[in-house]
Parts: sequence; C-alpha cells; structure tokens
Amino acid sequence: MAESSAIETQGLSKTYPNGVRALVDLDLRVERGEVFGYLGPNGAGKSTTIRLLLDLIRPTAGRAAVNGFDTRSSGVDSRRRVGYLPGDLRLNDRLTGREQLDSLARLRGSADAALRDRLVQRFDCILDRPIRELSKGNRQKLGVVQAFMHRPDVLILDEPTGGLDPLNQEEFRQVIRETAADGRTVFLSSHSLDEVQHTADRVGIIRSGRLIDVDSVGSLRERSLRHIEITFAVPVDPASFDGLDGVRVQSTEDGVVRLSAPEAAMDAVVKVAARHQLVDFVAEPADLEEIFLELYREDDGSR
Amino acid sequence: MEAAELLNRGLRDRTRALIGWCLGVAAYIALIAAIFPSIEGEANFDELVQDYPEALKSLFGFSGNITSGPGFIDTELFNLMLPLLAIVFAINLGTRTLAGEEEAGRLELLFAYPVRRRDGVAAKGLALGIEVAIFVVVVFLALLVLDPIFGLDLPLGRLSGAVVGLGLLGVLHGWLSLAVGAAHPSRALAIAVPAVFAAFSFLVNGLHELASWLDPFRFLSSFWWIGQSPLAEGVRGIGLVVVGLASVVALGAAAVLIERRDLEVP
Repeated sequence: MAESSAIETQGLSKTYPNGVRALVDLDLRVERGEVFGYLGPNGAGKSTTIRLLLDLIRPTAGRAAVNGFDTRSSGVDSRRRVGYLPGDLRLNDRLTGREQLDSLARLRGSADAALRDRLVQRFDCILDRPIRELSKGNRQKLGVVQAFMHRPDVLILDEPTGGLDPLNQEEFRQVIRETAADGRTVFLSSHSLDEVQHTADRVGIIRSGRLIDVDSVGSLRERSLRHIEITFAVPVDPASFDGLDGVRVQSTEDGVVRLSAPEAAMDAVVKVAARHQLVDFVAEPADLEEIFLELYREDDGSR
Repeated sequence: MEAAELLNRGLRDRTRALIGWCLGVAAYIALIAAIFPSIEGEANFDELVQDYPEALKSLFGFSGNITSGPGFIDTELFNLMLPLLAIVFAINLGTRTLAGEEEAGRLELLFAYPVRRRDGVAAKGLALGIEVAIFVVVVFLALLVLDPIFGLDLPLGRLSGAVVGLGLLGVLHGWLSLAVGAAHPSRALAIAVPAVFAAFSFLVNGLHELASWLDPFRFLSSFWWIGQSPLAEGVRGIGLVVVGLASVVALGAAAVLIERRDLEVP
C-alpha cells in the first residue's frame, strides 16, 4: 500500500443548520513531514475544518481522511495517531496539571512518559497546582504537552500560541521543527501569518469558508509588495516609476516619492531612481501580514 | 478499553459530592426512624390518618397502618422522600456528566481522543449506575443499623427489594437524563425531561385509583411499577424487570444518539 497523505480532504463542506456555509468544497492534501499553516481571519472556517478532521462535527458533503483513515467510517483509527490542541482549551479545573496529563494518557492508552517529562521541562509546566489556579498561558502549555506527549504522526493545532509568552513561543516553534524533521506532520491554524511563517512550509489561506490560495511561504513572500520611500535632492516626475510592471506610486510630495513594488520590480525601481540624485532610499522588508491582507482584498474584488 | 479511564475519572471527581449525599440521606433516615417509637402502636394515629382526604392518603401512601415499622418507613421514606432524593441525585449526575460537560466545552478534547462516543457515554452511564448503587446501599445499611435501635421490625427480604427498586428508579431517571443530553446539548432539557417524567409518574401512581381517566396511564409511571409500599406489601418482581429494561433502553438510546450529531463546541 502506498503511504497515504497525512491529511486529505475532498469536497469537504459544512453548512450549519442555521444556513451558515462555514466550509465550502475544501480539497486539501497535507503530506508527511510537512508543516502546513492554515490561515484566515476569525470565523473564516479554520476551526470548522479542524473539527471535521477530528469527527467532532459531521460534513454536509465531501470526505476527509487523516493518516489514511476516513474520519467518518474509521473515526477512532483516524484519531489514534493524532495530537490535538483545541483553539479554546478546556481542561478539568479540579485536577492538577499532573493528574490531568496522567488522565489523558490513560484515556489514550499510550504515552511516552520520558517524552512527556521532557516536554514538561522544556515548557516549564506547573504540574502540582489545580488547573483552576493557572493562568491562560500555563494552561495552554499543558495543552501543548498533551498534544505532543504520545509522539503522534499528525498534530492538529488550532491557534496554538495564544497566551504563550515569547520564550515559550520560540520553544514551541522549535518543537514543531523537530516534529517535521522527524517526518511527522503539523497542521497549524492561525489568524496571523507572522505566527506560522517561521515554521510552515506551505500556507493555505481560507476566507468565508473557501480556500483561496495555497502557496509556499517563500513564494508568498516574493509576491509581497515592498513599501519604498525615496527622497530626491530635487523633485522628480513620478511618472517614470508608474510605467514599471507592478509598481504603484502612492504619493509624491516635494522630493519624496512613496511606491509599492513587488520583489520582481526592485531592480528596475533602483535603476530608475539612480538617474536622479538621491538623499535617501528606504525599502521596508516584506511584511507577510500585508500580503495576507492583499489576498483578502483581491478575493473581495473578484466577487 | 480506554474509556475505562472515563469511568475511573468520573467516579473520582465525584467522591466528595457522593460522600455528602450519602451522609445526608443517612442522617435524614435516622431522623425519621427516631420519631417512630413515639407513634408506635398509637391507634389514634391510624384513626387520625383515616380522616385525611382520599387524594392526600392515596398520594402519600397512607394506606395500611402507619404505626407499624414497615408501614411507617414506607409512608415516610419509600413513598416519596427516598425516591425523590435518589432521582434528584441521579438526574443531577446524568446532567452534569454529559450535557454539563458539553456546555462547559470539555467534551471537545475528550472526543478528539481515540474514544468512541458511545463508549464514552456508556462509561458515564456505568459511573452513574455505580454511584446510585452506592447511594442505595447506604440507605439499606442505615435502615439495617437503625432497625434494632428503634424497633422498626423491617422484613429483610422486602427491605432488599425496596432498595433495589429505589436504585432502579434512580438509574432510570439518570440514564434518561443522559439520553436527553445525548440527543441535544442542553442542560436545561436534560434536567427538565426526566424531572417532568418523575413528577408525572408520582402523580399518576398516587391518583390513578381515584381518577379513573388516569388509570390507563399507570403503565407509563415508573413509580407505579415499583409500588408504593415496598416494605408492607413488597415490590413487584415484574416491576423491577420493566424499570430495569426501560433503563437499559434509555442508556442504549443515549449511546446511539450521541453518535448522530455534531458536538457542541465552545
């Protein structure tokens, strides 16, 4: 048998009884060893997708398979080698962290105690106090540990870094990289591109229940617009920039010209600018957050 | 089976509440039993009761002579108070463990684990059954201990039957609450449906002999199947079987219904 994809969906759709089309015709493959960022604003359908993958809710059309097992007909098998961190984690408040992790390990029937202890140490988890006394960040760390502690083949993480401090976020990224290097798969949802760009190989962008783009993080960055501010010694005619492919002149005042330009046009922009005497040249580094917004806008325009 | 952890967890999370309920019911039974010596053999008391309105007598089981130990305990405990406590205890438990957990968003992580939903519900049902069993065993032991102290003279065989009937009554309403919670994620409904059923059962059982139009409905009354005077007259074996089967049907329905819908998530 050929090895199956880690996650595969075909025409996966969910329309809630109130008529909301939360997910429309999703076709997606996430391969083994891949870190896949699943991006979209709140309410775009990210959590709906994830809950369909875990068989917590049922599709109105289409199908999904995790680890090669259909989520509906082989639900338990499809979830066996999966670690899940919910977007809104609710633990048993009366238990201590240790009791909660022990209980979840028994519920799964398998856990790697040594691995769990390492994770607890890396994230500096508080184990001996009741969960109701823990901050959101400290609860989230327990959530991260329970998702990883049985060494799952597929990790499904819904907005995982909420509440984690920067130090823990870096540790978390490190754990994700190690997981992928190990040939295992991470499916990471987020509303912030910044959160996944350091770890994800590919990114899928979802909006209003539709997947509007899947691309590598690298090429997303290439498509991103640079914001350029050029200060000339004497005012120049901005029309010479306007003619360049993909370049837009945002504003001109006295000697200052503000442009937006894709990576591909940078060479031409510099050469045109170099015909004049320069005082300053500032190009802001690619901001993925803005491509993200750009994609949303494009999508809006097409409707 | 992984769901065994659910059973274990369910029981351990509830230890303190269970101890509280058991101490409470034992104290209440002791209080009632302690009254008995002061009315034992008081013939005027039986006469007084005979003058009560028929509906009242029928509803509250003032049938035989309440100045005997079995008649007294039937009227004061097994007619209403103990079934009420057992049912409230079981409905509360059935509502918390499923609808309550779902509303609190705690079922999401649970069922994202490789746990079959019906196994999860079965484990919760079993935990409920065990708790109700512990509760009625405490009732049994309390009466057993108090019997010689206050001279209740309870027949042991009938007391056993009465306690089994009490337990089945609790389990039926508790599992009914699970079934409602499995069908629809609402705590309010999971309480209301079995509570209304219990009230209906009590009233029909108490009044069907006086109001003939209620008579055909007696078969739908859980109280009627168990009987009103389990110590003076004994419980009906067929009644225990019917209530037991109905309970199993309710739990089976819960297991089927939980598989058929979207889980409510926070």
